[in-house]
Formats: sequence, C-alpha cells, structure tokens
Amino acid sequence: MADATSTFSESWYRVSSQKVYIREGVRIRRQNFRGERWHVLENPFNNEYFRIRPEAYAFLARLSPDRTVGEAWQECLDENPDTAPGQEQVIQLLAQLYLANLLHYDSASDASELFSRYKKRRERELRAKLVNIMFMRFPLFDPDRFLVRTLPSIGRLFSLWGLLLWTVVVGYGLKLVADNFGALREESQSVLTPENLPLLYVGMILIKTLHEFGHAYVCRKFGGEVHVMGVMLMIFTPVPYVDATSSWSFRERWKRILVGGAGMIVEVFIAAIATVVWAKTSPGVLHNLAYNMMFVASVSTVIFNINPLLRFDGYYMLSDWLGIPNLSQRANKQLRYLSERFLFGIRKAQPPTTHRKEASWLVTYGITSGIYRVIVFGGILLAIGDHFFIIGLIMAAVCFVSWVTVPCWKFLKYLASDPKLDRTRPRAIAVSCAIALLLIVFFQFIPFPSHFRAPGIVQAQTWSEAITVSAGVIEEVPSKPGSRVRKGDLLARMSNRELELELQQAQAAVAETDARIRQSTSGGGVDVKPLQQRLAALTNRVEKLRSDLNGLSLVARHDGLWVAPELQDAKGRFVAKGVRLGLLADPSSFQFIATVPQEDGDALFARRILGGEIRMRGEAGDVIKAENWKPIPGAQRILPSPALGWRGGGEVPVAMDDPNGQRAAEPFFEVRADLAASEEALLLHGRSGRIRFQLESEPLLPRAVRRLRQLLQKRYQL
Amino acid sequence: MQVSDYKRLSCRIPEAPLKGIDEVVNRWIGACRRRAEILQQLERDAETVCGLQKELGNLDDHHLQQKLFHHREQARRNGHLKEDLIPSLAAVREAARRQLGLHAFPVQIMGALALHRGMLAEMATGEGKTLTAALAAVLCGWTQHPCHVVTVNDYLVTRDAMWVHPLFRFCGVRVGAVTASMDSAQRRKGYEADVTYTTSKELLADFLRDQIRVQPIAHPTRRLIRRMLSPQAFSKEMLVQRGLHTAIVDEADSILIDEAVTPLIISSSRPNPSLTEAASLASELASELDPEVDYTKNLRYREVEFTESGLAKLAERCGRLPGLWRGPERRSEIIRQALVAREFFIRGKQYIVESEKIIIVDEFTGRPMPQRTWREGLHQAIEAKEGLKFSDPSETIARMSFQRFFRCFRRLSGMTGTAAEAANELWQIYALPVIRIPTHRPCIRVQQPDLWFPSRESKTEALIRDIEQLHKQGRPVLVGTRSVAYSEELTTLLTGKRIPCQVLNAQRQQAEAEIVALAGEPGKITIATNMAGRGTDIRLGEGVAGLGGLHVIATERHESGRVDRQLFGRSGRQGDAGSAQVYLSAEDDLFTRHLPVSVQKLLPRPSSGSGMPGGIMARGLVKAAQAKAQRMAWKQRLAVLRADEWLKDSLSFTGNNG
Repeated sequence: MADATSTFSESWYRVSSQKVYIREGVRIRRQNFRGERWHVLENPFNNEYFRIRPEAYAFLARLSPDRTVGEAWQECLDENPDTAPGQEQVIQLLAQLYLANLLHYDSASDASELFSRYKKRRERELRAKLVNIMFMRFPLFDPDRFLVRTLPSIGRLFSLWGLLLWTVVVGYGLKLVADNFGALREESQSVLTPENLPLLYVGMILIKTLHEFGHAYVCRKFGGEVHVMGVMLMIFTPVPYVDATSSWSFRERWKRILVGGAGMIVEVFIAAIATVVWAKTSPGVLHNLAYNMMFVASVSTVIFNINPLLRFDGYYMLSDWLGIPNLSQRANKQLRYLSERFLFGIRKAQPPTTHRKEASWLVTYGITSGIYRVIVFGGILLAIGDHFFIIGLIMAAVCFVSWVTVPCWKFLKYLASDPKLDRTRPRAIAVSCAIALLLIVFFQFIPFPSHFRAPGIVQAQTWSEAITVSAGVIEEVPSKPGSRVRKGDLLARMSNRELELELQQAQAAVAETDARIRQSTSGGGVDVKPLQQRLAALTNRVEKLRSDLNGLSLVARHDGLWVAPELQDAKGRFVAKGVRLGLLADPSSFQFIATVPQEDGDALFARRILGGEIRMRGEAGDVIKAENWKPIPGAQRILPSPALGWRGGGEVPVAMDDPNGQRAAEPFFEVRADLAASEEALLLHGRSGRIRFQLESEPLLPRAVRRLRQLLQKRYQL
Repeated sequence: MQVSDYKRLSCRIPEAPLKGIDEVVNRWIGACRRRAEILQQLERDAETVCGLQKELGNLDDHHLQQKLFHHREQARRNGHLKEDLIPSLAAVREAARRQLGLHAFPVQIMGALALHRGMLAEMATGEGKTLTAALAAVLCGWTQHPCHVVTVNDYLVTRDAMWVHPLFRFCGVRVGAVTASMDSAQRRKGYEADVTYTTSKELLADFLRDQIRVQPIAHPTRRLIRRMLSPQAFSKEMLVQRGLHTAIVDEADSILIDEAVTPLIISSSRPNPSLTEAASLASELASELDPEVDYTKNLRYREVEFTESGLAKLAERCGRLPGLWRGPERRSEIIRQALVAREFFIRGKQYIVESEKIIIVDEFTGRPMPQRTWREGLHQAIEAKEGLKFSDPSETIARMSFQRFFRCFRRLSGMTGTAAEAANELWQIYALPVIRIPTHRPCIRVQQPDLWFPSRESKTEALIRDIEQLHKQGRPVLVGTRSVAYSEELTTLLTGKRIPCQVLNAQRQQAEAEIVALAGEPGKITIATNMAGRGTDIRLGEGVAGLGGLHVIATERHESGRVDRQLFGRSGRQGDAGSAQVYLSAEDDLFTRHLPVSVQKLLPRPSSGSGMPGGIMARGLVKAAQAKAQRMAWKQRLAVLRADEWLKDSLSFTGNNG
C-alpha cells in the first residue's frame, strides 16, 4: 500500500463513484480516551467494536445514499483541508468497515467472496484458539433473555442498598477471619492435598459462575447486551466465562470499570458469606466447601482477577481507568517503536501515542507484564510438567514453539526483509547481534556466585548410645537423665533374678564337674577327656553370665550429657536386651553431618568449595561456619538421623517400605564438617539444620543447562 | 444466464500469492516442474514428431489437409488434444513446411510442445520463435478457445500475423490481429478469429474497456433483467473480446516481469485548477529551497526529507498556496513532490519532452511510453519544472497491472531468450515452469571480459575510440545504452567524428525493426536503447562473418542480468560468429544505487583511461549489485501484487474486480 498519509491514491477510482454508507442499526457512540475524542461503532449483530478518529468520523458522517464517496471526501477536504483523511486513508477505512460488516453497499456482493471471507475468519479464529491453548473458549448459550427476565429482582442488589449490605457482610466476614486466623491458617495446609482437590474445584466452579453472572448483570443493568456465555479451558481446567464486551460502548468510564470489577465484587461477597458459614459450622462437607470457596475467592482474585498484568478483569479495569484501550497491544507497539526508533535508528517509526504520560504507562506496563507473564507461565508449565509428564511435554513443546521459536523466526525475518529496515538494516543487524552477544556473554561467561545447600544434622564428636547388654528390671537410675556425667559413672542399674539363678546353677555345675574330674583321675583316668571339655564349656558359660550380670549396670563410657528422657520413671520396668536407654553425648565439640543429594555431587567433588555455612533449623539468623568438611566418596542410603527424612519431618525422601524412615529413597553423599565455635547458636546433638556450600562463581547458562538436564534425568529418566 | 455471456466474461480468478511455508513448498514444486526429465520428455516427443515426417511427406496437400481437419474436429469436440498431440503437431509441421517454406527444427518442436503444455520456453534469439508460437497457436486455435499470441509491438503483430496466415488458413484456423490504430469494429473482428495476434497493451486495454462496459450489469441477475427489458441494448457489439483463455506470450520476461507492475490505466482527463495552480506554486517554492540545507535526499529510494530550517522556510511562505494546500501536511506533500521532480527526474533518462509534452521513458526498456502519466501531482510537478503547459490530471476509470492481468488466463505460456534468472518468480506468480530449450546450433559468440574505466567520461572516450577502430575494420557494431539521453550523446560525438551511425530509441517501431535488421551489414554502427527493435533478427552482411561477426557493446550493466543477455544475444545468432563486451565504470548507476558506499570502494578504479579487465572480485560485485537490484524489484512486484489482492478482497463491495 502506498504512503497512507498521501492525499491521492491510485486506487481512488474504485471507490470514488460508489455510494456506500454506514449500515443501518450500527450504533455510534462518542467516548473520551485520555482527553481525546473517539467514536465507537458497534455492530449490533455480533458485538464487534470499531474505534475511529473524529476526522474519520467526520467523513463517515457525510456518507449517505445520495452522495458518492468522492463527493463526501471533497466536502471534507473543502471544510478542513489539513485534517481530512487522505484518499488512501479513506480506502483503508472503507475496507476495514466492509470487512467488519459495517458498510452498506449497493452492488450485490459476490456471494463466493462472502463465503471465502467467512471461511478465512473461521480459520483465523481457530488459529487464535490454538495459539491461546491455555485459555481456549467454547461459547455455549445466550444468557441475555434470562438476564433480562431476572434483572428486576437480582438487579436490585446492584444499588446503594446492595452496597450497604455488601459492606456489612464483607465487614463481618473480615471480622470472622481476624477472629479465626489461627484455624484458618491451619486448614490452609491441607488445601492442595489430593483429597481436597475435587472439593476445591467444586468451590471454584460455584464461585466463578457467580463471578461471571456478576459481570453479566452489571453489564445488562447499564444496558449492554450479553449474548455469549460458555466454558473456557483455563490451563485445561473448565471454568465459566461470559462475553461482556458490549460494555465497551458505554460512554461513562466508571460504568466500564464497574462491569470489569463486578465479578470480583460478587466474589468477595460470596467469600464473606462462605467465611460466615465456615466459622459457624463444625468440620464436614459444608464446612470444607465453604473453606474452599473462601480460598478460591481470595487467591484467584489476588493472583489472576485483580492483577492487571494478565489479561483478566484487572487488565480491563486498568485499561479503562487509564483511558488506553488495547493497553497490552499498544504497550507492545510502544516498546517496538522505542527499539525501532532508538536501537535500530528508523527515523520514520511511528509511535502509538504522542502523550508523554500515556507513553510512560505503556512502557511500564509492557515491561512488567512481559516479565510477569514469563514467570506465571513458566511456573504453570513446570507445575503441569510435574504432574502429567506427557501433557507437560506437549505443552512445553507448544509453548516453546509459540513463545520462543516463532517470535525468534519472525524477528529474524523482520531483520532480514522488513521494508521498514531497508535503510538501517546494517545497524539493526549490528544492534541485534550486539544485544544477543551481550546476553550470551552475560549468561555464558560472567560468573555469578554459586552455592548449593544440603540438609544435615548436628552430632557430638564423641557420643554413644546406652544400650542394654542384657535384659533386666531397672532398679536404679543414679545419674539423673539430663545431667552431665563423667566417665565411669553409673547410668543405670538393673537386676535380673533369672540370670543370677542361672549363674548359680552354672557355678554348681562347674563344681560338680570339677569333682568328677578329680574322682576320675584317681580312679584310672579313663573318662577324663570329655569331662574336661565339659568343664571348659561350663566355665565359659559362667564367664558369659558374669559379664551379662555386669552389663546390668550401665556405665558412662566417656564424659558427656546423659540424655534419657524415657528413663525418668522407669524404675521397676523390665527392659529387653539391646534396647536403647538413652544417649550420652559430649557437648564440648560437635560435627555436622550433611546429606548432599546426587544432583550436587558434581559440585561437591568436582568443583572447588570456598566455604560452608550452617544454619540451624529455627535459628536461620545465626550462621555457624563449617570447617574441615570431608565428603565421604561413596553413595549412602541410610540417613544419619530419621529427622532428616520425610517421615521424620525432614526434606529427604525416604523409602516407603522402611518403618524407621531412615532409608533414603535415593542415594546421597555424606559430608562431615566440624563446626566452628559459635556463641549464639545453641548446638545440641541431633539438631537438624542446613549447610550452604559456597562454590566458585559460575556463569548462569551452564548452570541452568546442567540443572535442566539433571531435572530431566531425574524426572523422566532421559 | 446465457452460456455465451459466461464465456465472453469468463476468466480465471487468480489466487493470492502464497506466503510463509506454503511459499517455500511451492518453490520446491516449481523446481520439480523445471527438472531435467521434463526437458528429456520434450526431446523424445519432438523426435517422435520429426519421425512422422517421412510418412506425412508422401501425402499430397489434399490428404494432408484432410488429416489436419480430422485433428481439428477431434480438438473441437474434446476441447483438448491429449492423445492426438503428437500426430497433430507432425501434420502442422508438415503444413508449415509446405506453406511457409520453413522446416521446423526439433528444437522448435520442443518449444511448441512446451508452449502447448503451459511452460515458458527459453529459446535463444534467432531460433525461430515466431514459427514455434505459430505451431502451438494452430493447435490451440483448433479448440476454439480464445487464443492470444502476444508480441512486443504493433509492427511485429502485423508482420507475424501476415506471415503465418497461409499456414493457419491451410490448417483451418482463422487468424486475426489487433493493433493500436484499429477501431472497435476491427478489433472485434480481430478477436473473433480463432487465434489473435496482438500486443499486451492492446489486449489489456480492450479487456478493461470491456469490463467498464459490463460493470453496471456485472451481476448475472441484473444482466438477465436488463436483457429481458431491452434485448436490443445488450447486443454482441457491446464487447470486443471473447474472454481470456490461452495466451502465448513472446518476450515473456519483459512483459511478465519487467513491465509487470506497470499498470495499464484507462483514464479521462479532467481539469483540476487547484492542483495545477498548486503544482506551479510548489515548483516555485521548491526552487527557493537549498539542497542539504533545507532538505536531504536519498538517492536509492528517491526521496527527499525536509530539515528543520526547510520546514521553517515553508511555514513562512505557505500563504500563497491555494486552500487545500495550506495546511502543513498537504503542503509538505506537494512541495516534496516538486523536489523529487527536480532532484530525481532527469530529462532524457526518466522522461523526454516532445512537442511540449512530457513523455515518460520506461527506465527498464528505455522506451518512451506516451500514454503513461505519473501519479497525481508528480506529472504536473515535472511539467512545472520544465516550464510546460499543464496537462489536465487524468482521472482513472479502470486500472490493472499486467501482472494481475496475465494471472487471469487459464492457460498461460511464453517464450523468451532469457528467463532462467527469474524462474522462481515466474513460477510463484504465474505458475510457469521455465524450460531451457537447447539451441539448434551451438553458440560461438565470444564474450570478452568486462572493461573498467576510471570515470564515465573516460568510458565514453574509450567507447568512441573503439567504435571508430571497429568501424575502420568494417565490422558492424551494435551499442546498447540504458538511457535515451546517453544514446543521443554518443550519436552526437560520433557524428562529430564523421562516423555514420543509426540511433534507435524505440519510438518508430517499424522503421526501427528495419534498421535493426540491417545492423549486421559491414561497417554499420547502430546505437540502440535496450528494447529497440526487439524481436527482429540481425542477419550478418556479406563477409562480416569473416571479420568476426557483429560486435555488441554494452555501455553499462543493466539492473537485470537478463537484459544484458538479451543485448549480447543480438550477435552470434544461429551459430553465427560474433562478440560482445561490456564497458563499466564505478560511477555507473547500477553500483551507486545498489551497492553500499563502503563496498563501492572495492570496485576497480584504474588510473589509465584505456580500460582494464576486472578480476573475480569485480565480477562478483557486479553480480551482487544485480542480485540486489533484482531482489528489490521482485519485492516491489510482490508488494504490488499483494496490495492488489488486498484491494480486491477488501473493496469487493465496489463490484469491479480490476
């Protein structure tokens, strides 16, 4: 197309003698956007909107059945030569109106052309649907008549009295939340457990349906028609949606904002009611459902609806509030303009706006929403990939193609052949290469501090467990559990009557055998050999029984703290052999035993570790330096303490079939590190914590690649 | 709806050009359709046709004609010639031998087969394209579908139509011709014939005029009502053409590519005092602006842009412009146009002035185009610059580019000397696979290495010197120039040295064809712009072959390598002796427009004025510049086509599909 601003067009002859005009029934409303006047054309049949400038409207308004396009244009030109649209602009305007079915024309149009247009449109819609795979929409029915019929009763809620009621209920709900905050928090732990998911979903459907009806009723109340309601597959989860685009033609900005906000207003109201129900019921289905509805209403409102960075309610409200329609597209255009103008040096680049303030809004919005989008979608992808491998893989592929490959390809094509760049192509290519190079250098070569963490447990350098050597009844606990003991102190004394008797019996047998040996020696010495053998066995037995009896007194093997909470009032209790009575730990020096997962094995053994820091659980503020760490080069499976495993509340996955919860699901590497003396941290044997190893700085890209590969290897055995 | 109506108005509705992956796939398909096996198949078929000669040669005229009529009946009944193709073609070949005295070579038969199968046959100059086209046209004429043989100019139309007449009559095909000078009755008669010889311009103009006539009743229902109301009004006389079905395009590359985006415009002029007044004032205002101070210019894109001081100056003096032009936007638009006219439109290059009128010269062909005008305002700006009386701005009634027009044919085929360079474009736009037909005799033309000169002046000096020398030897020389102005400059210089020369810039076609035909006579010096006398053979005069044949000098490389080859192809036809050489300098337009300034420095700049052959690097740079120019041109053509498609789709409510 020729220069759009030029006065004359070579194709003018095609339209100049035509008598066309805006079709009957098209509603035209005036709106103000950022102090500028616009005219919004509304196609009543399909709720499509078309925004035009007053200059273009001045021309369109002149079109009538008894005037040709050429005459109307000439009149415009005579009246206002400088702002009247050029011929090329008029042609484009008419073409757009024609394609939007807003134009009445005399000559019967080619039917086949109409069909091919319809087909193209359908194809375009289908393509848009596929591209927007995370938010696919399926229109189901037309709620308009229902809305009109029920509006007299329901509509009353959207009034001053309604507001009052809303304030009261929401206020009460807030009060209940404050009152029951503890319980609220406690229950939030179980929201995402698999058992709760169906209920959560039911709650969401209920609340979202009401949300959509909120939009619909408010829109209808202000006179906008609502013709489509359906189901949207939001990240493969069916949720209801409503098409309230007719609000776009409302002249007052606050009405448009209110329609956008109506969903959330309803949602908050429902959430307040749900809070009341939840607070006033005891656990049960209703209670849980109410809780879930509260949860959905609050979380989804914060993350999705009110947030303008994704294209939900908040976006439209912000866009209306700022008076910038198509905020997102315009923001992208503005960013594109900035880079074309200042990076590529296209002097003819056209900015989407000339207002400074609007431009700064656009830039801010463009950048923040871009970043936010990457984060949210990245998170969603990872989450889905976590749960459904195949779907996650397909979606990752689709997203990779549509968010990375296609834009890159388009950008390359743009660089290579866009006519806009004809004059500054070398510069554009140089700048793009430079930016790409910078990014590569930044990610591939600039080292960033790097570290890895591992859970672990504090152990005393010298410690032992007091385990019963022989079974017996506890008679005495001379050293109080919890007290310091010295080496040789008696920890517990037990008695075992049976043992004593057995000893006596054995001693008697020894005496008997001894006597028989002597008798036999004097009588010829024929049977001596077997008797001697028997004596030896019996003597052994006596020795064994003796030591068993000695074992009934547990003695401290070294100095330390005697920890035996169970021994406190165990006097008179029978204890079997091999039972752990307590722990004796020397508190003078500790070591930290960390379990490093396999993924970090490479970092642990192959790369230089600059230092280690340990933070105790519950005392994240105090850092203890680790010294003389020593990785044990060999994978292990048994955790140094059950406290590290899942079963013990730790973070290391443990094998499901291990009743002790001490066998890790995956092998790990053990690292032993001495702890530097620290005044603040309270070191106790068996206390768990995390060690953080500071590595040599490493660039980000190799690190990310390694992580990704490890993730794939681990998750998908690739 | 009456069938006859439908037939008269029917034409193919071309699909929009493909995009993205579709385009890439289509490119592969195109390469497939050009593969070597296709040529081998043609070769085998041509051999079979020639093999039938013995048997047909024994028939007397009567029996041969009976055979021909039999084939004609078959063709008419079936609408095609599928299994009859080989024997029919053999019979037509035999008829041509008897009626025209020319025995078609196998390569010509291959050409005719290629045309019949809807391909673009690349055949070297002098290989008898006229006969090739005639053979294919006879086959097509039999089917009674409208068949148009499109040639370059009116002279060739008349000449070819006359020449083939005996053959066509013998084969039972009516032949007609349409030239510019004919009135509508004569035109109708020409188009009523089975095969019509005409030029692309006449063909399209008549098509558009028919469309205009049909437009008010384009809708079948309306036409039916109109016919019921007044049967007389809707007579056969309304339209001249019979519809578009088959076209055999001679010099296809120039028509389908070089001139493709030139629209043919049917217009009426209407006085527009406001515009003419503004144009003269703008020209006056423009002359007060200084280049570099008030505006900057961009040579490659032929654009000017105002500087701050220029805008200020304009704002100061705007009051004199008439109403419409008083606002800043429109004002700078018209003054910019005046500046463009001053800076980039050079008399003798882009236009010539003849009898107080601007006549546009086609930059590609160097041919004057009397009917063409620039778009509104520019034409007047140039008239103002030349101080001529303003012509009334024309108002377009209908308009169509040749590109769009030729896409409307159901069966398009063509012949040219040079097409390989544009094979992809021809496939993508017209679905024409290019097939290179081998020459009958091997070409022995000597292509001498390009000579480089330090400047344009030294090049001209060397040219005159070399021409003089060759003239003394008695060798005929054909000098090809890119612009009318340069051809005239050379003529003046040569005349100053009392060297007789003939200059042609394609204004008087018939006379020129005759002059070109004589360009091979000993000692003849002919200076011609690119397209002059195209389509005419240059036969060598007595004894010239011994001297080395015709020597062709190109004074510049053209933007397209094809046009260069066309010029070289003037010598060494049908195995004649001949030679060709190009004279270049770094100051040539091709390099200044299409190579970046930094790269231009690499061009050879010899210090002596005697000329220096360029090395590999220089050849590479020439290729690069041409490739760049071609790419730019191809993109422009594609953009025009896309814009046309867009207009068609989005303005279809206007009812006309041009």
